[in-house]
Order: sequence, then structure tokens, then C-alpha cells
Amino acid sequence: MSKHQVLNSKDHLDLRVHTEPGGKFGDAVMACLTMPIEFRQVQAHFPIVFRRDVESGRFDVLALFGFENGENLFLENDRWEARYRPLALAIQPFLIGRPAATGSDAQVHVDMDHPRISASGEGTRLFDDDGKPAPYLEAIAGRVGDLDYGYRQAPHFIAALERYNLLEPFTVEVPLDDGSRQSLVGFHTIDEGRLAALDGAALGALNADGHLLPIFMVLASMSHFGDMAARKNARISNG
Amino acid sequence: MSVWLFFRLRRAKVGYGSDVMTKPIQNVIIVGGGTAGWLSACLLAAKQPDLAITLIEAPDIPTIGVGEGTWPTMRETLATIGIAESEFLRECDASFKQGSRFDGWVDGSPADSYLHPFTPPPVGNMQGLLDGWKADCPDQCFAAAMSAQHAICARDLAPRQRAMPDYAGALNYGYHLDAGKFARLLAKHATQRLGVTHVLDEVVSIEPEADGGIAALSLKGGTLLAGDFFIDCSGQAAILIGGHCKAEWIDRSDVSFNDSALAVQVPVAPDSQVASQTIATAHRAGWIWDIALPNRRGVGCVYSARFLSDDAANEILAGYLKKSVPDCDPEKLTPRKLTFRTGHRTQFWRGNCLAIGLSAGFIEPLEASAIVLIELSLRALTENFPASRDTLQIHAARFNDLFRYRWDRIVDFLKLHYVLSRREEPYWAAQRRPETIPVRLAEQITLWHEQPPSTWDFPQIDEIFSAASQQYVLYGMGFAPPRGLHARPGTVARLNEIHSKARSLAAALPTNRAYFSAAAAQHQQQMNQEEMVRT
Repeated sequence: MSKHQVLNSKDHLDLRVHTEPGGKFGDAVMACLTMPIEFRQVQAHFPIVFRRDVESGRFDVLALFGFENGENLFLENDRWEARYRPLALAIQPFLIGRPAATGSDAQVHVDMDHPRISASGEGTRLFDDDGKPAPYLEAIAGRVGDLDYGYRQAPHFIAALERYNLLEPFTVEVPLDDGSRQSLVGFHTIDEGRLAALDGAALGALNADGHLLPIFMVLASMSHFGDMAARKNARISNG
Repeated sequence: MSVWLFFRLRRAKVGYGSDVMTKPIQNVIIVGGGTAGWLSACLLAAKQPDLAITLIEAPDIPTIGVGEGTWPTMRETLATIGIAESEFLRECDASFKQGSRFDGWVDGSPADSYLHPFTPPPVGNMQGLLDGWKADCPDQCFAAAMSAQHAICARDLAPRQRAMPDYAGALNYGYHLDAGKFARLLAKHATQRLGVTHVLDEVVSIEPEADGGIAALSLKGGTLLAGDFFIDCSGQAAILIGGHCKAEWIDRSDVSFNDSALAVQVPVAPDSQVASQTIATAHRAGWIWDIALPNRRGVGCVYSARFLSDDAANEILAGYLKKSVPDCDPEKLTPRKLTFRTGHRTQFWRGNCLAIGLSAGFIEPLEASAIVLIELSLRALTENFPASRDTLQIHAARFNDLFRYRWDRIVDFLKLHYVLSRREEPYWAAQRRPETIPVRLAEQITLWHEQPPSTWDFPQIDEIFSAASQQYVLYGMGFAPPRGLHARPGTVARLNEIHSKARSLAAALPTNRAYFSAAAAQHQQQMNQEEMVRT
């Protein structure tokens, strides 16, 4: 069970957090959650795919970094090889906390068991000596707010895709330089044929709700599979 | 016509070439194995790999070993030589130096303290910045308004994170180091990786050339060591440049009074904070240096024997230690007495002999100019190395001009620290007597009432003390900015940027102690892993 605490300057005055990218800090992941508010940045670097949660039947939206668990092709010797880090990664080790009372503001929580929590005296402090949030924390708080808003908006987007039956399972098969084949199964994408068949009224409704632009961004993001295959090949040839 | 001309040129070239190329410079002999000698060996070997370099060191002459502060130039020097920063820090017990703090120099009151940080003020018009400072943050000291480094030094923070590439920093920095260990690291690197020959022997006499240069050195062990070019790093003994070449000595003690020091080293607790800057605390007839390494503090009382007895200096040192070093019992320490001659040669390069280090000169340790002068001398030499004897005189003349200028600027800049003081003890009053102030410095101070120090005052590319350094001392000591300043667009924004950069860095940088502890832990882990692989 993770140790989540409400972030505050009293308990966390001297807390330091590792802010640089790194496998040992939890960045060696195959994918992370994303949402339509950041699709414009995400689609510039990573494929955006959908995965159905077996238990709940609900769809999650993911930014994809690798073909298998633990593989992040955009993390090279602890360098982040893209000009964007999706919010869900960028805010770690922080989380959105919702107090029990409805209607009250979301809070920033911190996962004290996260590998980004520093015990060595290195890393970035969250507060000034007088308890004022440091610029890093101010920036993080802004991102946590964005993420919170994005999460709450995302179900409307998924619902619209399901309403028009636009999600379809897909498989990727990538032949690699060493002769093996890399396959990716278990994800969904947007069905281009069904999208093209929608009538003007349906497209107008999607557009009016702001869903049309993210739909096309998802489609455009699929071109990054070529980049990912090249990165995978480079890793194989570098041993 | 053209054929004839071509023919003449060719003949001239052949004749010229056959004269010259018979005397290339290939064998370099360095005399002396302190910081100057080994830095010379390493830099020359790294930048002129075709030379055969021999360093001769007398086995029983101890090195001075108190030059413990470097400038930011040392980062480039070490990178050029090819030593990793983590190895250097570990092997030399080094710490980061981000500048110098001067306590008690203006009037000796408890609040009297200013910082000369290595990171310069923001780029732009200093008149506008001074106006922005006085208008917007008059309560801040000059260094705090002009550089984020002030906030970092005040918190004992490191200038870099360990994840950064070697020798890169969020702020400009040099090092404090153990000079003995530094010489040993350089010696190991020079002999094991750079192919320098190390001879442990003593020079007993010098074999002259017909034209007065040096042909060879005869050693106590009986060997005759011949060379084409000789570097004198023999310290104050100056056996080649002084003993043989008879380069005259210019005494500068009329300007720079200090000639003695009492030095001690005090171990510190493993969890104590490590200061980010050299602390120079003024006393009634000189000042005290305080240099923090991870494992010890080097403290020394610098004074002028004309104004202070050794016993009185010892008392001042003991008083400082009691007050400033926790758990230190000065009774148990025996300070080492050093005396130094203040001045420099008229010429540093004569014939085929160049003096580098204390043999070239020394002005008191304030602002740590000793090691940086070694580096600058070697930069000039390695980038202008005479391939043959024909260019020796040309290089010598250029070098002598340049370094005469640099020594003069050092004398001026160090004097500035005393001239601006308002302390009234006899030593300090004497420092301000007009006949002790170099003419150029006096003129500049007059100018600075009307305009801030700028590149007009210090026009060379590699000025040893830039206009920024002069500004930090001048306004740090409370010199009034020129009247009639005008706000410039953008200057307030630039000062605000410094403020927010200070906040970001204060949060992002580890303490010096945390940095060194984490580096030590990582090194230990690596050693353990190697041990496991071997067994």
C-alpha cells in the first residue's frame, strides 16, 4: 500500500524530490495515462492508444513508449528523448487528492514510497526555508491542476467514441532488423472507416463538443510506430 | 619576369628552411614537483603530445602546499588534462568554491560582510543595473541583487547536481583542494597516462649555452639532463630564472604589505556544513583565510611583519579558531609559519627558460591568484609553443609583455580591497596612503565616481580580474554608484529574473555536504561491486 500524504509545508518543509528522468525513478514504463487536453503535445512524439479495463469494462487512454512491459524507448541512458513528458509522468511523485467532502478543492498529495522521494539530500526542495512553495512546486501544482481537469473531461471523450462505435481492437506487427517480429496486442484505436462513414450531423455534434480535433490527433499519432520500431532496432544493434 | 620571381622565392625558402629546422624544440625539462610543476607537465603533455617531457623533483624539498583555492578556469584545465571531475574531487578532498566572502573589511562591524561571487552580474548596461538595484531593492547587497550565487553561498549549497555532466554547473565555480594531494594526483596522471618522465634528483649546477641559455642540468646523482626548453617551477628558490638567467626581481611590498602567514589545518565533523566560498576575515594588520574542505578547514592568518609580531598574529589566529571553528582547541595546534617575498620578475621568459608559479612571482594569497596565473601562463605557452629556436625571442617578448600587464593588474586589484576600507588601525591607514597606491588604480577609482568599471578599463580578452570582479568589490564595499543614473528598459526585469533564479536554485541544489556524502556512498558501492567481481 502506497503511503500517500497531503502535501504541506509543515511535514514536507525539507522534502527533496528527484526531478531528472531515470529508470530508477519509475520512468522505465511502457505507457502512461494521457487525456485529450494534452493530445496536441503527446501526438507529436508518442502513439495514443486505448485499453479496455477487463474488470470495469472502461477504456483508458495511453501514451505508448514501448512494445512490452518495462520498455521505454524514449528513455535512453536516463535521458528523456522527447520534448514532452506526459502530465501523468511529469507530476510524479505527486497525485491528485480529493477530500471526502464533495465540492471542496482538490489537493496535491505526495506518494512517500515513490522512488522519486529523495533520502540523500540531493534532489529539488519543494518549499523555501520559510515554507513558501519553491518555483518547482508552483509549476507542479499547475500541472496537477491541469491533470485533474483533464481526467474529469476524458470520460466524455470516451463516451462519444463509444456512442458512435469508433473504437476497434488493433494489432501491430513490426519486423525487426534481427529477423524477429515485435507484436503489440490488446489495445484499441479509432476505426477510420467508421469515422469516414459518419454523417454531417454526427460529425457536427462531435465537433460541437470538442471531440473531433482529439480524434484526428489520435489517428495522426499512429505514425510514431515507425519511430518506435527504429528506436527498438537501434537498441538491438547497440546490444 | 614571373619565372624569375618564383625562382628567387624558392631559393630563399630552401635556404631559410635549412637554417631553421635543424634546431627544433623537442625536449622539455620541468624543474620542481609542486602544483606549478605538475600542472605544467600535464597541460604541456596534453596539448603538445609530440614533446618529450621530463619533470625533475628534489626528493626532500617539501612543497609549499597552501595554494588551496582555484578559479573556475581549473574546470577547463582538468577537462583538458583528462581527469574526471568525480575522481578529482575524491582524490584531492576537494570542495566547490563559488567565490570569496570578505568579513570586516569595510569598518570591522559585525554586519560588515560582502561576497565576490564567480558568477558575473547579468549581461547589459551596468549603469542601468545599478539604477535598478538602487531603485528597486536598495536593502539588498550588491552581490545578492546581481547574482543568484549569493543565495546559494548563504545556504552552503553546491553549484551543481551530480547528474550533470562533468565540469558543468548551474553557477560558475572553482575548487578548494588539498594542494599536496592535488600534486600527487597530477603526478600519477602525468606519469601513468600522459607519458611524462619523472626524475627524483637534485639540480646541482646548470650547464650554459654559448648564448646564455640553458644547455643541460647536472644532477646530484651524476646524470647530465640535456633539454631544449626549461620550465622553472622551483618555487621561491627560482634556481633557473633567478639563479641562472638573473631575471631581476621587482619588489611590490611598497603596495602590498603582507609578507607572513601562520597556517593550521583543523579536522571537521563528518556531518558539518561545508562553506561554498573562501572566507577572508580582516584583522588589525591583515586578514585570515578560512577554506572548507569536506574533511578539514584550512585557516591561516596573513599579516605584515612591519605591523604585527608573530605572537600577536598567533593570538589573532587562536581567537578566530575559538570563535569560528566548533570544538577547536587552538592550544593543541602548532601553526606553520610561512614568509613570502612580494613581487615578481621583470621578465618571466628568458632565452629557453620560462618561470611558472612562485619562481615568477607572488603577491599575497588574497583572491587566490597563484594557481590561475599558472594556468594562464600555460595557456599562453601551450597555444604559442616555439617549434624551433628561431621564434624563442619573439614568444619571450610577447609573453613578458602580457604577464607584466597581468601582474600589474593583480597588484592593482588586490590593493583595491584595502584602499576602499574605512578601518583606522595603523596598518589600514597606511594602506590608503597615496604613495602606496599605483597610479593606474588611483586614476580608475577617480573615474569610477563617474562611471562604473567596464571593459573600457579592462580591455584585454583574458583580463585576470574582469570589470565584474571590480564591480563586486567596489559596490560590495559600499562605494557610491555614479550619480545621475537612468533606468534602462529591461534592467528591472533582469534583476527580477535573478531573484526567481535564486529561488529555483536554492530549491534544486543539494548542500555541499549532501553532494559529497552521496558521491562517497556511490563510490563505495562501486568499489564493493568491483570487489565482488574479483572474488
